[in-house]
Amino acid sequence: MAREKVGALVMLLFSLAYGYQATQIPLSFLSQQEFFTPRTMPYALAVTGFVLSFLILVLPTVDEQGKTSLAEETQGMDWKPAIQLVGLMLFYGLVMKWLGFVIASIIFLLIGFRILGERRIKRMLLAAIPLVLVLWVVMSMLLGVYIAPGEIFHMLGII
Amino acid sequence: MLDSMMNGMMNGISTTLIPINILMVLFGCFMGSLIGMLPGLGPITAVALMIPVTYGLDPATGMVLLSGVYYGAIFGGSTSSILINAPGEAATVATALDGYPLARQGYPGKALAIAAYSSFSGGTIAVVMMMFFAPMLASVATSFQSADYFALMILGLTAVSAFAGRGGVLKALLMVVLGLMLATVGTDQTSGIQRFTFGSLELLDGIEFLLLAMATFALTEALMIILKRDESSDSLKPKMIGFKSLKVTKEEFKFIAPTIARSSILGFFIGVLPGAGATLGSFMSYGMERNLAPPEEQKKFGKGSLRGLAAPETGNNAASSGSFVPLLCLGIPGSGTTAVMLGALIAYGIEPGPRMFIDSPEVFWGVIMSMYLGNVFLLVLNLPLIPYFARLLAIPRNLMVPMILFFSLMGVYLVTFNDFDIMMMVFICVAAMGLRLMNMPMAPLLLGFILGGLMEDNLRRALLIYDDSIAFMWQRPLTLGINLATIIILLLPLLRAFFARRKKAVSVTQG
Repeated sequence: MAREKVGALVMLLFSLAYGYQATQIPLSFLSQQEFFTPRTMPYALAVTGFVLSFLILVLPTVDEQGKTSLAEETQGMDWKPAIQLVGLMLFYGLVMKWLGFVIASIIFLLIGFRILGERRIKRMLLAAIPLVLVLWVVMSMLLGVYIAPGEIFHMLGII
Repeated sequence: MLDSMMNGMMNGISTTLIPINILMVLFGCFMGSLIGMLPGLGPITAVALMIPVTYGLDPATGMVLLSGVYYGAIFGGSTSSILINAPGEAATVATALDGYPLARQGYPGKALAIAAYSSFSGGTIAVVMMMFFAPMLASVATSFQSADYFALMILGLTAVSAFAGRGGVLKALLMVVLGLMLATVGTDQTSGIQRFTFGSLELLDGIEFLLLAMATFALTEALMIILKRDESSDSLKPKMIGFKSLKVTKEEFKFIAPTIARSSILGFFIGVLPGAGATLGSFMSYGMERNLAPPEEQKKFGKGSLRGLAAPETGNNAASSGSFVPLLCLGIPGSGTTAVMLGALIAYGIEPGPRMFIDSPEVFWGVIMSMYLGNVFLLVLNLPLIPYFARLLAIPRNLMVPMILFFSLMGVYLVTFNDFDIMMMVFICVAAMGLRLMNMPMAPLLLGFILGGLMEDNLRRALLIYDDSIAFMWQRPLTLGINLATIIILLLPLLRAFFARRKKAVSVTQG
């Protein structure tokens, strides 16, 4: 199946789900009397999304790039580091509150460099630490933006 | 009319010449060139990455900075196209066609210098044209009503799709619809009713536009570099490329001057069209120049022709200046990058549209006048720095990609201070990567998202004014005219296909 058609199928299902969710939007008594309610636009978009996806599905694929299958397109792609980086970003989001901006960012960069094959510790540290510290100084000291320290510092009684 | 234009220009000059603004133009051009030079990163990413920096600034200063980043990024993209045949984005693909062969022949300095002079000329000529056309359009547009705005937004979104290329119209329209769908998440401004929030407090205010721009462009492009094993940046050895001379001879200047003049005018008008942008500007200028060239010169196209290099470089810069016309005058972005800038304007609390010409003249004229300065900075300061900038291309991707990811995540986090936003960015980034792998374009999605709220508001208001009748779509001649233009644009791909089939049938019959 052409990858473009797969995309259209995904969007068709998404439009259906979106349309269903639109029916769940609560309407106040006043809204119910109106012609244009908070549901009107979502309904119109769900129908348009459905029609467009359906057209892409049934009409022949003209775009040469869209004709390849998803398997062909993704063949030979370097999935492992990309998935690891996605995981790392999620980890960054999770630990930010606990470790604070400076420590979480340095850890994020160091692990990121390592995932992509960098092994020279000195180079990694020289790239990560000054960058984060300079940003922290610029944001908090020069621009006066308050960046909360991590919860861990409170828990350990450091702050 | 002329009086108000002169007053506006003076206002723009005084805004631009404030030391902080001069500094920001310089900083914007510099950062734009740096980011735009990195393979895989285009002006949309460059502008999105710089938006957090502008939040503490005055709106006019912020827009001046972002404009500098925009044309700086286009200029930077040309550098990676010429030196390593890795265009930073679609608008500089045509530059690589002749720029890279010229560099391979031992003239990288000359190629970069011609690109810089062409960009400067294209940008400057387009700004002069913009200075005359923008106020005219803005003064006409002050009579626009909600119905006209709604029709204009439909026209803008349709035009983006119509220029998507063969087989891309439906996909672009679908992505516009997805963007509009995402714009409905959050609290409905009129009724106060929550839509698609799934009980989450974080979604009450909807999706932050910066978050969406970073996730769909900066994060996705960085991960795509890894996925596709794009090692173009690793292969460059900048020291091996000799920048012996950035000099262009008088004869060469004379040779490319008519090309620059033609491409500037064409590029500007293409840029003004909603949805066309710098990519179409560069390709059409290249195509026009190849068609106009004498047979001897035509043979050189694709092999290092000076005209083949000057045309797309002039065209893309003129078109990027031109794309500011619909943004500043109508509040309708002409390209993906100006859509991000429109989002920034809204975030600054400025209502985009023709009223901006009257309510915030310092922003309107400040942006226009700062472009002169930006073009000069690009030429005078960036050109001599190119050999040093090029060393940036040698930063290995194993250091560069985590840094891009870090700057993108940090850019959003340091604005909202919300961990949930990082999670949402990652979620949207994964979804966007999936859509890109399925050959779905991302720029229309961003355009739809940014115009979504405004479009719904104007539709609601128009219906209210016309007693819930959709007659507003044709009752005013102006609205009717805009809607007819939309219909024509929608029919264009069908007509193109019809004529192509007819031509083929005729040639088969004659054959």
